[in-house]
Amino acid sequence: MTYPSVHPTGATIYDPARCWNGYTVFQAKELGALLIDMNGGEVQLWKELHGMPNRILPGGHLIGSTGERSTAFGSQDGIDLVQVDWDGNVVWRFNRYEFIEDPGETPQWMARQHHDYQREGNPVGYFAPGLEPMTDRGNTMMLSHKNIIHPAICDKPLLDDTIIEVTWEGDVIWEWVCSEHFEELGFREDAKNLLFRNPNWLKSGGGIGDWMHINSMSLLGPNRWFDAGDNRFHPDNIIWCAREANITAIVEKKTGRIAWRLGPNYDETAELRRLGWIIGQHHAHMIPRGLPGEGNVLIFDNGGWAGYGCPNPGSPTGFRNALRDYSRVLEIDPISLKIVWQYTPVEAGLPFPVDANRFYSPFVSSAQRLPNGNTLITEGSGGRLIEVTATHDIVWEYISPYQGKMMNTNMIYRAYRLPYAWVPQVDAPRGRAIERIDAGRFRVPGASPGGAKRVVQVAGVLPYRPDAALCVRTDVGETT
Amino acid sequence: MNPTLFTATGCVRCRIAKNFMQAKRIAYEEHDALAGGKERFGQFYRTHRSSVVRGKEGIEFPVLVDGAVIRQGVAAAAAYLQAGSALDGFIRRGEPAPGWIGGIHLPAGDPAALNDLEALLLFFKNQGLKLRLDTDGRNAHVLEHLRGRGIGDRVVMEIKGPPVLYHILTGGVVDAEEICRSMKAAASFSDRRFETRVAPVVDAAGGLRYLTPEEIAATACWLKEVTGSTKQPYFLRWFDPTACADESFRAAEPLPREALYRHRTAARRHQVFTEIAKDSECG
Repeated sequence: MTYPSVHPTGATIYDPARCWNGYTVFQAKELGALLIDMNGGEVQLWKELHGMPNRILPGGHLIGSTGERSTAFGSQDGIDLVQVDWDGNVVWRFNRYEFIEDPGETPQWMARQHHDYQREGNPVGYFAPGLEPMTDRGNTMMLSHKNIIHPAICDKPLLDDTIIEVTWEGDVIWEWVCSEHFEELGFREDAKNLLFRNPNWLKSGGGIGDWMHINSMSLLGPNRWFDAGDNRFHPDNIIWCAREANITAIVEKKTGRIAWRLGPNYDETAELRRLGWIIGQHHAHMIPRGLPGEGNVLIFDNGGWAGYGCPNPGSPTGFRNALRDYSRVLEIDPISLKIVWQYTPVEAGLPFPVDANRFYSPFVSSAQRLPNGNTLITEGSGGRLIEVTATHDIVWEYISPYQGKMMNTNMIYRAYRLPYAWVPQVDAPRGRAIERIDAGRFRVPGASPGGAKRVVQVAGVLPYRPDAALCVRTDVGETT
Repeated sequence: MNPTLFTATGCVRCRIAKNFMQAKRIAYEEHDALAGGKERFGQFYRTHRSSVVRGKEGIEFPVLVDGAVIRQGVAAAAAYLQAGSALDGFIRRGEPAPGWIGGIHLPAGDPAALNDLEALLLFFKNQGLKLRLDTDGRNAHVLEHLRGRGIGDRVVMEIKGPPVLYHILTGGVVDAEEICRSMKAAASFSDRRFETRVAPVVDAAGGLRYLTPEEIAATACWLKEVTGSTKQPYFLRWFDPTACADESFRAAEPLPREALYRHRTAARRHQVFTEIAKDSECG
C-alpha cells in the first residue's frame, strides 16, 4: 500500500448493511491491544499489553503477552502468553517452556511464543458458529522457539520453530519440533545448499539462523475432507506456514509427520504452476466449519522476498530468490489446489501489473473469513484493514493512526473481527455509515478546490484512447 | 603361542592397540583384514561369527584373539592385555566415536582392579583419546578416584529414579549415600550429563507401571539437593521394552512418547534445563 505524505487514518469506509458488524482487535504499534468499533471508535485499550496476535475471547477476555525478550538475544520471543480479563487482571499465564539466562538480564522462564496460538474449542482463533474458545479451562496450542544445532541443515546455530500444547495448569503435554522433519519439507538440492550457507542469518544472541520463520499455526477442526475419509485432514491436525521457506503444511498430530504440503516449489505440477508461486505468506489456515468456504485454505500470499534456491538477477546468491511486488489473498481447495476465491490487485481494481504494488504488504498480514462471506484483510505493512465482499467490494476500511516511534511504521500484525456479544461489558454500538469521500474533490485545509479557472479549446486534438500505451507493456500473457 | 591381532588398513584404533602391545612388550601376530590378512580373517570370521559384532559401520577393529579368548575393539583388547578378565566388568563394547573411548562402565567393575583400570585409562589418555565414563552411582569411589587423578573427559550418570525406588530399579541393595557421592563427583566434571530412563517399575501387587511425573520430579529434586544446582544437564529417556535385556519387561506396553512431556514439565520444577533425549543421542 502506498500512502501520500498526508492521508486520513481511522475508519474511512463503512457500509453497515453490507458489513459483518462487530468489534475489531489488533496490536496498535507501540501502544497496546486496541479494541475498536466499526466507526473506528476506540472501545478499550489494554495499554502496552503486547500480542502476536491479540485475540478476544468470549466474555471480554483478551490474550496477549506481557513483553518480548531482548532482541539482543532473541527474535520475537514472547516472554509469556497471558489471558487477561476486561479489567486487565491476569487470569491465565504460561511461561514455563524454557529457562533463559541472557547476559545482563534477569534469568527467567519464557514461553518463547511467537506469531500464533489457539485455545481449545476453536481451531483458528476467530469467530465461527458453534466453535467457541474456552475461557476458564482447556489446552492452548502455541508456536514457540527453540535454539538448536542440526548439522544436516546447517553447521551454525538455528532458531527453530516448535509447536507445543499446554494445559490450563501449565503442563506441556505435546511438542513438535520443525527441524526434526527437515527431510519431509521438500527442499531441493539448490535450496539445501543455500540453507546450509545462509539459514536466514540474524545477529541476535551472537548469530542464529531463522531458517523457516513459521508465522501461523492453527488446527484444522471439523471439516468435510476428513468426513469424506481423507485422514490427512484429521480435525486435530495442525496447519502452519513458513515465510522464509514459502511452505504451507499440515502436521499429523498423532505422529508429527507432514501429511500435506504446499511449497516450497510451485513449478513441479500443472496445478502448482496454475496456482503461482506463493511467497512469504502469512496466516494460512483452514476456513472453519460454519463459515462460507469452510474446508478451503485461506492464505495471505504476501509476495515480497522469500525462499532459498538458485540465484537470479533479483537474488544474486539465491537467498530470498522468489520475488513479487504485490500481494494476493487466496482461498484454495486443498485437494485440487484450485483457487476458489481471491483478492489481488486485479480484484482491487488496480491496473495490473503497473499499479499492482498498491495492494502489497511484504510482511505480516492476514485474512479472516466472516459469517456473511466477507473477508477481513489485514494489509499489515501499511496498517490498513479492509473488509471486502465476495464480489470484492470494499465495505469497511480502517487505517491505523498509530505510528511507532522506535520503528517508523503503523503496521498491524494481524487483526480479528469478533461479535459484539463477546464483549458483554459494553453495549453494542449503533454503527453510522461512512460514505466514501470522492478523493478527486477531497482537499486539506489551505488547498485550493479543483477545477480550472479558465479552459481553452485547442482545435484538432483527438480524444484520449482507452488502450493508450504505457512505458511498460501490460498485455504480456503467460504461456503454459 | 602369541596372540593374533586382526587390524584394518589405516585403522587408528588398531595402531593404538599395537602401541599398547609394544609398550607392554607383548609379542603378537598381525593380519590386516583388508589387505594381506583378508583370507585369514575371513576364515576366522566364518568360525567365530557369533563372537564378533558387526555394527552400523561394519566390523569394529582391532580384534584380538588369544587362544579361546576374543576381544573386539581397542578398549576391550587393551583391557584384556592389561589384566586378563579382571577389567571385564568395567569395559563394555560401545559404539566408537571418533577421538573417544566409550564403554567405560564404572558400576559393574571389580573395585579390586582399580589400579589396572587407571593404568589402562591413562594409556588411552596419553594416546590423545578422550574418555567417556558411564555410571549409575554405584562404585562411587572409582569415579571419585578417577576424578581425583584427572582421568575422564565426560561423565554420563544414569540416575535410575528417586531414592525410594533405586533398589527396585537396579535390582539390588543400593547405598543411597554412594549414589549421592557419585552425583557430586559427576557434577564436578565440566562435560557431564545426568539421565533418567522413564522405566517400568514392578508395583506392590506385582503389576508393571512406569515411573510417574512426580517420581521423576523427585529424582530431579534429589539431583538438585545433592549438587546444589537447578541447572544440571538433565535428560529423560524413553524406555523401549523390546530392547530390554530383562525378559519380564519385553511384553510391557510402551509408554507413549508424548507422555514424557509431562515428566519433563515435572522435572523442570527442580532442574530447569531438563530435556527429552533423542534416540540418536548417545546415552
